[in-house]
Amino acid sequence: MSTLTDTAARLRRLLAILAWLAQVGEAPIDEAAARFDLTPEALVTELEMAACCGVPPYTPDQLMEIVVTESTVSTRVGTALARPRQLSPPEGFALAASARALLTVPGSDETGALSRALAKLDRALGGEEIAVELDAPEFLAVARDALAARQHLAISYYSASSDRVTERTIAPIRLFASEGHWYVDAWCTLAGDQRRFRVDRIGSATPVEPTGPHAFEPPDDRAGLDAFVPGPDSRKVRLSLDPSSAWLVESIPSAGAPETVDGRIELEVFVGGDAWLERLLLRVGPDGFVVDPPDVQSLATTAASRILDRYRSAEGTPPAH
Amino acid sequence: MQRLDRLERVTDLLLVLLDTSQPLSLREIADRVPGYPDSHGARRQAFERDKRLLRDEGIPVLVEPIGGEDQLGYRVDPDAYYLPDLGLEAEEQAALNLAVAGVHLGQPIGHDALLKLGAGAESPLRSGTAPLVDLRSIDGLPALPILFDAIRTAAAVEFDYRGEPRHVDLAGLRFRSGHWYVVGHDRDRGDARTFRVDRIEGIPTLGGPSSAHLPDGFDAELHFSREPWQFGGGDEFEVDVLVDPAEAGRVVAELGPDSVVERRIGGAVVVRLTVTDQDALVLWVLDLLDHAEVLRPEATRHAVIDRLTALVGRSTPPSEEPRR
Repeated sequence: MSTLTDTAARLRRLLAILAWLAQVGEAPIDEAAARFDLTPEALVTELEMAACCGVPPYTPDQLMEIVVTESTVSTRVGTALARPRQLSPPEGFALAASARALLTVPGSDETGALSRALAKLDRALGGEEIAVELDAPEFLAVARDALAARQHLAISYYSASSDRVTERTIAPIRLFASEGHWYVDAWCTLAGDQRRFRVDRIGSATPVEPTGPHAFEPPDDRAGLDAFVPGPDSRKVRLSLDPSSAWLVESIPSAGAPETVDGRIELEVFVGGDAWLERLLLRVGPDGFVVDPPDVQSLATTAASRILDRYRSAEGTPPAH
Repeated sequence: MQRLDRLERVTDLLLVLLDTSQPLSLREIADRVPGYPDSHGARRQAFERDKRLLRDEGIPVLVEPIGGEDQLGYRVDPDAYYLPDLGLEAEEQAALNLAVAGVHLGQPIGHDALLKLGAGAESPLRSGTAPLVDLRSIDGLPALPILFDAIRTAAAVEFDYRGEPRHVDLAGLRFRSGHWYVVGHDRDRGDARTFRVDRIEGIPTLGGPSSAHLPDGFDAELHFSREPWQFGGGDEFEVDVLVDPAEAGRVVAELGPDSVVERRIGGAVVVRLTVTDQDALVLWVLDLLDHAEVLRPEATRHAVIDRLTALVGRSTPPSEEPRR
């Protein structure tokens, strides 16, 4: 329950409550309280206070009548506070950005209602200068349809980190766009566990009849969105970084909680493959190194030497393969 | 007697200021709104606090000159206070609800907006199988709604970026490849620039409405820098990068065929990039591992070599690091 007590937050909430009640007329107290994150008692207290407000000579547009019964609350709110308030910049931004983001998802606006709503919003709020671009991988629609129909998919999947294409059957659990890419979380028959796949690395996808026992219920909240699900060939690597370069890895979804060890930052990341780890270490630079496992500790040095060899040879001569 | 709830006084104040078409002096306000102290100084102080609270809540309290000894009068402009009627059909409202439910912005701000639009009666519902779009948490990007407001009101903007103050007239916001960008005309550089919003330092300050003046025909889409090495940097220079056949296809797809200045037998290409941020370019080239090489200019080529040499020759080789 809310513990908001400062006047500004209470005013904001009260104005929202009154505008909402003006619209619905009557509502169960419990529902109204839950909607505004208040206890029923606190809601009634706020409304009783509001009923005392008004300005002489109490013209109809300011009249406020609030009737509380045992289980419902109803109001007659004068037009002054019944009409909705202008959106704040963050609210206007959230609406305009959300609508634009969903419009980029194929099949999300089949009736055109969202486009029409957005055009009306833009006219009133001026959001035309926001653009949202998401990638549109070939098998996005196939993955979306399979998820909606609870179908499994036989896919070929290219793992950039191991540079291999594998065949597997997946049972999609969730589809989402993050950090500019579309992902599907799925039960994977090859791994025998839940895995996260980048949709643009799916090379082919065919719906198949479910065979396994793994009928996952899709999660109904976003809590798990930021939670890391390992890629198809992941393993864990412990890195040590200078605090000044910690920002380079903090946006990696798999990064664990950083610890401070002797004035340096240590953290674990799931690594898809050697090439991926090479890129990460080159990016971090000389201040970072691998603590564990030992077999990848010299990866950055060998990768750097390999690239330097190329620069030391005649300019522009491609290395022999 | 119980002290009067300040919320009641503030609500009354709002009603009074909305109700009047003429600006009211503080004395007139205190006559209508119960709860202000009698002494002039304390009353002024209490009123100023309430006025600040209303403004912080986005309520447009106008201050206008009036005659008489009070000199200043106050009112709220109803046109600015109320949301204009959007005329949304039920189906359009429902579509907006779904959009807000399906897009992750890190806080329930979209739901607050829906409440104002009157989405009240039914909660936004989404099916568990509908796709979710993560646009990054705007909690972590406090500049974002402020930049949006600047564009909406054509306000000139000042912010710090890479340790330098920038004066920019904004043209548009873009979400691409997982990041928010803002594009505009940089007054000090006299040219179009793109900035990554999460790299803007602190909170931007806005000039008044219509204080921004974009050059005639400024096209945000046209000027939006597509690559990380073109964001918010200083002077432009050209860099040629040789890319091996293994990565040539992907790189040309990313940069567009116009970037190719030479195609070699076997499939390697030389691409020419316009760069304002050398550090970002070096990171991009290193991401291609040994499949790419900076050909010119010498300074950029050396920046790559220096970084690699430092990695190879660092004093504490990884193999000698003590295990924890």
